Amino acid sequence: MRPLLHIARRLLKAEPVAFLRGLALGITVLAMGAALLGLSGWFVTAAAAAGIAGIGIGFDFFRPSAGVRFLALGRSGARYGERMLTHDATLRALAALRLGLYAGITRLPFEAQTRLRGAEALNRLTSDVDALDGLLLRLVLPAVSAVAVQAGAFVALWVLVAPAVAWGVLLSFGLGGGVALVFTLRHARARSEATEAALQSLRAQALDLAQSRADLAVAGALARQEAGLANTIRAEARARDGLETTERQGSAAIALTTGLAATVALALGGPLAAAGTISPARAAIGVFTALALGETLALLRRGLAELGRMQAAGARVTALSDTPPRPKPAAPAPRPDRAAPLLQVTALRHHRAGAARDTFGPLDLSLSRGEMVLLTGPSGAGKSTLLATLAGLIAPTAGEIRLLGAPLAAWPEADLRAHLTLVPQRSALIAGSVAENLALALPAGTVLPEAEAWAALEAVALADVLRAREGLATRLGPGGAGLSGGQARRLVLARAALRRADVLLLDEPTEGLDPATAAAMLSGLRAFAPESGFLVVSHRNADAGAATRSVSLTVPGHA
Amino acid sequence: MPQTDEPPAANPGRADAALTRLAAPATPALRRAGALSALAELLWAAQAALVALALGGLISGTERLSPLAAAAGFLALAALRALLDARAGALAQRAATALVESTRHRLIGAASRQDARARSPAPAELASLAAEKVAMLAPWAARYSPAMARVRIVPLVLLALTLPFSWAAALVLLVAGPLIPVFMALVGMAARDASQRQMAEIGTLNTLLVDRIAAVADLRLLGAEARAGADLAAASDDLRTRTMRVLAVAFLSSTVLELFSALGVAMVAVYVGFALLGELNFGSWGGLSPEAGIFLLMIAPEFFQPLRDLAAAWHDRASALAVADEIETAEAAIAASGTILGNGAPAAALPPAPFSWRGLVLSPGPGAARLGPPDGAVRPGEALAIAGPSGVGKTTLLAALAGLIRPEAGEIRWGETVLSDSTADAIRAGIGWLPQAPRFIDAPLGEALMLGRAGDLDAALTAAQAQGIVAALPGGLSARLGDLGGGVSGGEARRLMIARAHAAKASLILADEPTADLDHETAQAVLAGLLALRATGAALIVASHDPAVLAAMDRVLPMTAEGGA
Repeated sequence: MRPLLHIARRLLKAEPVAFLRGLALGITVLAMGAALLGLSGWFVTAAAAAGIAGIGIGFDFFRPSAGVRFLALGRSGARYGERMLTHDATLRALAALRLGLYAGITRLPFEAQTRLRGAEALNRLTSDVDALDGLLLRLVLPAVSAVAVQAGAFVALWVLVAPAVAWGVLLSFGLGGGVALVFTLRHARARSEATEAALQSLRAQALDLAQSRADLAVAGALARQEAGLANTIRAEARARDGLETTERQGSAAIALTTGLAATVALALGGPLAAAGTISPARAAIGVFTALALGETLALLRRGLAELGRMQAAGARVTALSDTPPRPKPAAPAPRPDRAAPLLQVTALRHHRAGAARDTFGPLDLSLSRGEMVLLTGPSGAGKSTLLATLAGLIAPTAGEIRLLGAPLAAWPEADLRAHLTLVPQRSALIAGSVAENLALALPAGTVLPEAEAWAALEAVALADVLRAREGLATRLGPGGAGLSGGQARRLVLARAALRRADVLLLDEPTEGLDPATAAAMLSGLRAFAPESGFLVVSHRNADAGAATRSVSLTVPGHA
Repeated sequence: MPQTDEPPAANPGRADAALTRLAAPATPALRRAGALSALAELLWAAQAALVALALGGLISGTERLSPLAAAAGFLALAALRALLDARAGALAQRAATALVESTRHRLIGAASRQDARARSPAPAELASLAAEKVAMLAPWAARYSPAMARVRIVPLVLLALTLPFSWAAALVLLVAGPLIPVFMALVGMAARDASQRQMAEIGTLNTLLVDRIAAVADLRLLGAEARAGADLAAASDDLRTRTMRVLAVAFLSSTVLELFSALGVAMVAVYVGFALLGELNFGSWGGLSPEAGIFLLMIAPEFFQPLRDLAAAWHDRASALAVADEIETAEAAIAASGTILGNGAPAAALPPAPFSWRGLVLSPGPGAARLGPPDGAVRPGEALAIAGPSGVGKTTLLAALAGLIRPEAGEIRWGETVLSDSTADAIRAGIGWLPQAPRFIDAPLGEALMLGRAGDLDAALTAAQAQGIVAALPGGLSARLGDLGGGVSGGEARRLMIARAHAAKASLILADEPTADLDHETAQAVLAGLLALRATGAALIVASHDPAVLAAMDRVLPMTAEGGA
């Protein structure tokens, strides 16, 4: 429950005024609804009494009937305003929540970020955010309005009917609502987590079956995988049935509560009216108001049903949003030593926790200005891990890295990224125009200089391709969809080149390119940034032609 | 900002028919559930009568039913009503779950037997269809369909109960009631439009967030985390403005609905009050009693309640229609594609024997020219290369040899056994399969490699010289290779597949471009692994255009584009 309260506070803080206004209107809607039915009940009963007594002529029917019409119209109007206000505020608050989530994810360690890129994890993340949209709309705001309206109704019933009826109605709703809440709190989370887990596993297994269909068929394992999936489908159905049962029981508790409150109002108010303590019309107010107050709980019903899902989603979103800030190196920031090599690596080693051998190393390496060093080695020699370590994304197990004369860890994040950039093998583009993608390389708020952008595109031999389309305005879909693999690769490299960093670490930059384009691109990059040093991982012998020298990595333990 | 295309507007008539067909098995249960929930709703009339009798007695001073007795009856009926409603809910929910479950079973069962050429539905599409999308049928069945049943029954019965007391009150309901369906039709159209647009909008926001999160490591390397965050904020704000415009319409329509029901109730209340005062002398059959007046006031809101429930569940119907349409499209695509031979079930392997094919005619895909690959044969322990430029149909031939595509003519033999539906599983039990881009199922590596068969995996890894790959993984054989292949490269994955062939004691290996995209050293390791398999007596059929691979084989079978039939 704690993470949910935490998120509710965060959402409220994002738009406090709008939510307060929405809350006020929400209370108005419920109060007018209760008043409408109570007034109608009183009006009809009192009119009947006056009619029987033959004093119908003297009965003031104008004000009650005007009140009934006013309440009917006003309630609908207030409801419209309340919905618009709270939905707008919720959308704003959710945007803030998404941003907080994004900011938290930017602070995660590199390995954790890599794990988040899987479709599975991303799917879960967005559905978590979506699940939280009902937290204020369907849970917190209705709960607060319910309490406020019940309190108001208590006072009104005390004055208009009788203290006993006021107490009876309040206690009925308190008891019934409390039981429904406690029951849901107790069961909903586990059941909704079970349902969610079953659904995720169903999706994963269906994906496996569809993707590895041929492979499974040849291995004679298709029937087995199918049987496993059939079991998961059944398990998901059982889990969902359990969850729905919880929801149904909660709804039944709420329906019974309203029935109980009206019963209590009738059983307490009726005898009072029979004894002449209050008029029958006042007793009617009690019964009708109790019935209308059922709305306060009914609004909470959907929120309660979603509570379990929200709890689980809230816990995950809070955990990600609250990622602690990255450790900052002790001030002051080092100054670049122009005389030192760009990169100086000594006895560098990496060992993955739980693995039986080292990933790479020990390794010594140095990179100077104007150099392009080719890093080769068989698959499994840890080339990509080495580049991530040199870029400060992964901590080495032992050894030292010096960038421009100072230890890598001494550079503050912004300076580090300004001096060194890495283009990983699976580098991502974002949805948007080519210009927007390139602009990511520049400091926030800077406009992309067109000439510089075209020069970078020229350097990676992509300018002609884009000129044939819509130039810098060419639009890309999510993940850079719309470009071929090789084109996307070159756009990523152009973006990195625009950083004008001293050190460029490139992981398989020529993958998927024909040899002529690959050679043109590597020499183009060197010409674009003659003062920089390049460290290039490649398995293509042809790339050696563009490099100043080669360094070969071996698989540790196999040397 | 990205503009995700709006989902193609489903043809409503077609989607309606699809949903009806899909839900046909659940219909009887849903009908029973609907009737039961309508009955529960109608119990309210009895509750109202009890209250009316008690209050009416208090007014006239002639007690026909004591308030306590009325209260007791009211509570008992409320309990019965809640019970019936819960029963109806349980019935509808069971039918809904069964509908979802059987649709999933049918989809998966059909899709898993599609042949190797089938491209539609794409795996990710099928997975999301079978998981969260099919689940959207449940709210339609469990909520919308009982609400629809209540709309058909409850207002009519309540109207019939009103009429004997007052034709004027009945007239108010009769006018306000049908106006609501008229507005509902308008609301329905607007809400369907609005919700479709809104779904697209929210989808876009999620796409945007996912896109940025997937690129977050790159954004850090570019020092662009803050910049991308600001973009995200601007996009969210823009989308919010547009979503609110859509919601303004949707809320307005539902407000009209609420207004009509509130006005209906208010008019009944005012009419009843005036009639009881004696101010109005028409509309009832010779005067309204206090009991009748209170009764009419109490059942008026319930007259409108089913319509409000239906409006609330409207969105469930829109989602179910969209999903039904998608399911129908996917099922049609699956039915249109070919199936594999056999069942893909475990079988006893046939003894090693010469493997041959002749006279094959293959269709690589819809619209593509037919292939007539050259005849060929391979003996145990022999290595055959199938050579030819990319696109010539080597992959299609290998798939046909494994019984994953039905040839249009010709035959494939394992010794004397002809490949057919009844022999395919047994023939495949002797085959080791090495696709160009191996992918492992989401399970611990040991299980992903063995797939439930017995065998000595350690020895197989040693034979394939793949222990080093496993040793570098955190957790070794219990490591899970997720959907981004977390931890192994393409070359390593192929060597692990060779280890699988060792473990399965395969006597025929089908390998597709085993050295493509690999550095020299890794290519050597893969080739050595294949030759080690041959050394155990297995036959090799390797599709490749790598000279080093062709040189290592015993024979080369060239495939040319002119082979088309």
